[in-house]
Amino acid sequence: MPYHEFECSTCIPERKKHAVIKGPGEDLTSALPEGYLNTIPGSITERGCAYCGAKHVIGTPMKDVIHLSHGPVGCTYDTWQTKRYISDNDNFQLKYTYASDMKEKHIVFGAEKMLKQNIIEAFKAFPEIKRMTLYQTCASALIGDDINAVAQEVMDEMPEVDIFVCNSPGFRGPSQSGGHHTINIAWIKDKVGTVEPKITGDYVINYVGEYNIQGDEVIMQDYFKRMGIQVLSTFTGNGSYDDLRAMHGAHLNVLECARSAEYICNELRVRYGIPRLDIDGFGFEPLSQSLRKVAMFFGIEDRAQKIIDEETARWKPELDWYKERLMGKKVCLWPGGSKLWHWAHVIHEEMGLDVVSVYTKFGHQQDMEKGIARCEEGALAIDDPNELESVEAMLKLKPDIIFTGKRPGEVAKKIRVPYLNAHAYHNGPYKGYEGWVRFARDIYNAIYSPIHQLSFLDISKDKIPTNQGFATQQMLSDTTLPEEVVSSREMRQYTGNYDCIPDYLNKTYPYMQKTPTSEN
Amino acid sequence: MKEKIAQLEDYIMKHCLWQFHSRTWDRERQNAGVLGTTMNILCDEPVANETREDRCYWVDAVCLADAFKSRYSWLAEMDKAAIKTLMQALKERIDHLTISGSLNKELTDKQY
Repeated sequence: MPYHEFECSTCIPERKKHAVIKGPGEDLTSALPEGYLNTIPGSITERGCAYCGAKHVIGTPMKDVIHLSHGPVGCTYDTWQTKRYISDNDNFQLKYTYASDMKEKHIVFGAEKMLKQNIIEAFKAFPEIKRMTLYQTCASALIGDDINAVAQEVMDEMPEVDIFVCNSPGFRGPSQSGGHHTINIAWIKDKVGTVEPKITGDYVINYVGEYNIQGDEVIMQDYFKRMGIQVLSTFTGNGSYDDLRAMHGAHLNVLECARSAEYICNELRVRYGIPRLDIDGFGFEPLSQSLRKVAMFFGIEDRAQKIIDEETARWKPELDWYKERLMGKKVCLWPGGSKLWHWAHVIHEEMGLDVVSVYTKFGHQQDMEKGIARCEEGALAIDDPNELESVEAMLKLKPDIIFTGKRPGEVAKKIRVPYLNAHAYHNGPYKGYEGWVRFARDIYNAIYSPIHQLSFLDISKDKIPTNQGFATQQMLSDTTLPEEVVSSREMRQYTGNYDCIPDYLNKTYPYMQKTPTSEN
Repeated sequence: MKEKIAQLEDYIMKHCLWQFHSRTWDRERQNAGVLGTTMNILCDEPVANETREDRCYWVDAVCLADAFKSRYSWLAEMDKAAIKTLMQALKERIDHLTISGSLNKELTDKQY
């Protein structure tokens, strides 16, 4: 096994099995790190907790819901500033965050009464909202508050409301991934099948494992609607609580983030016979292939081809402009889970980037299988890295950029490596054809930022040049490019709007007649 | 033969996701369903796509067969018996990588 031992972690020998280098001739039977294990004591993890995975990743993107945490107010930290799963109802689920605000006295005397009062107060404060998700936290779980009983009491007294209880306190699993699992299973067990599906189309899907980061779901919905496909529910970005109770009515589950949501797809297949089709929404070719597959399932592949042709013609010249300027740049692809495999191959093929390392904070070995399979030789794969290992890897690999989360991203900046936010994005959406160009533009702007170039100068010792004037990204990026590329009339920079989402939301879609040959 | 299988394997591992379901029984089902149907398509044999599950295998198989045909010109020069032998060997290789030789410790979990 080609394990890689970090110098900074020699004092934690167990860490050695959590990093491998995919060498020549290595495959998944010889190069796969450990994964989804409890963090080794002494290794300061970058992971989140199981409560965070349940609430902040999967529960809260549901848009028409009061999301209440039964615990200390600090548990609700993640909202506007760290999460960007927007919605088309004025971002209700992001603008307001709720906690029962447990204090020491509640730990001693119990907090069920207070919780009931808080639930009722929250519904009264927002009378138009009739749905709630209620999350157990470490504090309330340890004292044994029965939040299911409290929720049932409220529902008995207020029959117009419905409450979903998620028992995923922070300690329930090695990472946020434990929370993904818990909420998937709880939702199918408690809520799916409790509302009659409203079927308005001939071809009906659930779009699963999609969280509408900066509008990803909106851009993908556009393609589905243009094909005449009804998205019955989205699990869970921009998704509606009652639509998600009706998931059993779909013909097909289209699965994007298998890490966080394959559980519910698997259960929907077992319980309701709805098959699961895994897709890639990132990158021109994988996305085209994905649209083709979904359409083919319903016998409407001509509709997909029309979209693929239109979108490729519109956006490919812009992607190519960036590809010319990103060719050969080294990337550490360090997201939380699924993007390590969604992006590993396609950023190499379609943007010319070289992935020198992949890591996952909360992924399982399954995610590493996918990621390592898609990487080129020589890539360093790390499971659950600590901060010192990340720094050591960056100093050794000398990447031009890293794609990671907000917190490790700031660490990268300190050693003068630019980063892009792989979780919440910088200027998303990144899905769809237009989104993929926006991603390329953000990478380009980060790598060639004139401001970032200044960070390489140490004002305490370096001579600061005063004879250099104004610089732009293009002045920096185009110096070594061939003339035919620089003066190309075919390729161009991104020409979409600063915020592209309103245009998609304002579109209307005519009903499309069922194709006679299709079978669903 | 070995070189040809390596090329097909490389395409599957880099471009496909169906082979990486979470449990052993899932992977056995997926590998047999998709690769079996791909073989049928490449050999011009009838394929089952009546049930929703069959159709799921079928769409992945159609895309895989198209990719194989467009990328590997040597495939057109093989007769059907040779394609069957090749696809059987490919399935054994993918089964090895994703199931029997896999280092993924979660494959044998009894529940999802």
